[in-house]
Amino acid sequence: MTWLLRDESTRKPAAVADGTPGPEPGTAPADDTAVDAVDVSEAESDGDQAPSRGRLSVRLRRIAVAVLAVALVLAGCGFFYGAHQVRSTASARNRALTDTEATTRVAGDVGNALARVFSYTPDGLDAAERSARSVLDGRAARQYAELLGRIRAELTEQRVTLSTQAVRVGVLELDGDSARLLVFLDQVARRDRAAATSAAAQLTVTARWEHDRWRIVDIRTR
Amino acid sequence: MKRVARALAAARSLPALALALALIAGGFAVWTGWDWYAAAHDDSAEYAAQRDVALAAGEQAVQNLNTLDHRDVERGLDLWESATTGDLHDQLASGREEFAAQVQTAKTVTTARVLSGAVTELDDRAGRARVLVALRVTVKASDGQRTDKDSRMLGELTRTGGRWKLSALGQAPVGGTSAG
Repeated sequence: MTWLLRDESTRKPAAVADGTPGPEPGTAPADDTAVDAVDVSEAESDGDQAPSRGRLSVRLRRIAVAVLAVALVLAGCGFFYGAHQVRSTASARNRALTDTEATTRVAGDVGNALARVFSYTPDGLDAAERSARSVLDGRAARQYAELLGRIRAELTEQRVTLSTQAVRVGVLELDGDSARLLVFLDQVARRDRAAATSAAAQLTVTARWEHDRWRIVDIRTR
Repeated sequence: MKRVARALAAARSLPALALALALIAGGFAVWTGWDWYAAAHDDSAEYAAQRDVALAAGEQAVQNLNTLDHRDVERGLDLWESATTGDLHDQLASGREEFAAQVQTAKTVTTARVLSGAVTELDDRAGRARVLVALRVTVKASDGQRTDKDSRMLGELTRTGGRWKLSALGQAPVGGTSAG
């Protein structure tokens, strides 16, 4: 829009050069300084003069172009904002199910990871712990270490075998490298020679994509 | 007179500058307009919106079907019927009177709260979806004693008349599918 202003100020001297009569016809221009003096006074009163039709249409055309350009820029900004609004809605940002491949991947990875770390035999606790180190991280890893530290002695003593299976996994949110899932677990525990008992658990799990795989960073029972 | 000549040259180049700026503005508007159109007609955004609508409807329906007050059985059961369709709806409608009598005799008030829910399958063309819902059901017996029970439900939704309704609902079986 600055060009429009420049247009107004630079065009005036040209009008003087064309010989447009000044506001005071009596004072004839004597030299360059006089022209400058007229120039200044004319700049204010130019609108009152009657410019030729051609010049008027040029001016109108320029104003039209300016208005059009401004309108286009405003429309562009509007579209830009609109597109941003559409893309940034919570529903559009959540890629659960819309990105089929990633959804299947995270559901499978998380289901398998839970089954591995929560399945163990009395003599195979170390294997479960090794699995935990590779698939758990953050708060989940701390919780798991604490849990195992508390029950380890008991498990070996009572010869407990636990087998866990993720029976249903639903992805709540999937946004780039972070995901939240709802997992239904089935757990079957067997104490030495006693009959097996089964239990159900509902968890919400937070997972993070790190080094080309999903790692569980938080587990909460629902 | 140099000043005048310079001014004249500037005035002559102005239309070209104006035109260039107008073209740039036009290009900007076309690009953003196209981008906006693409975003607004993005299939996956529409699919995502359907997913969220289905989930909200599914959670609400599951909650409705686990809520019943013996003092207002008719209204509760109306809600059940309005949230369901297909076989499930027929089942509820046919067993309605018997069930209402049972609840009124037992004098229980059952309320439910959805803890978490997720859509596991969505076919937005066929209008079918499956949901997982973790639910806490509170039953208040006639003697005022409350018991909480967590349950995990599997629901199947069918879209009828633009609305998602439950066409099947069951508990996720426990220990039934071992070593599978």
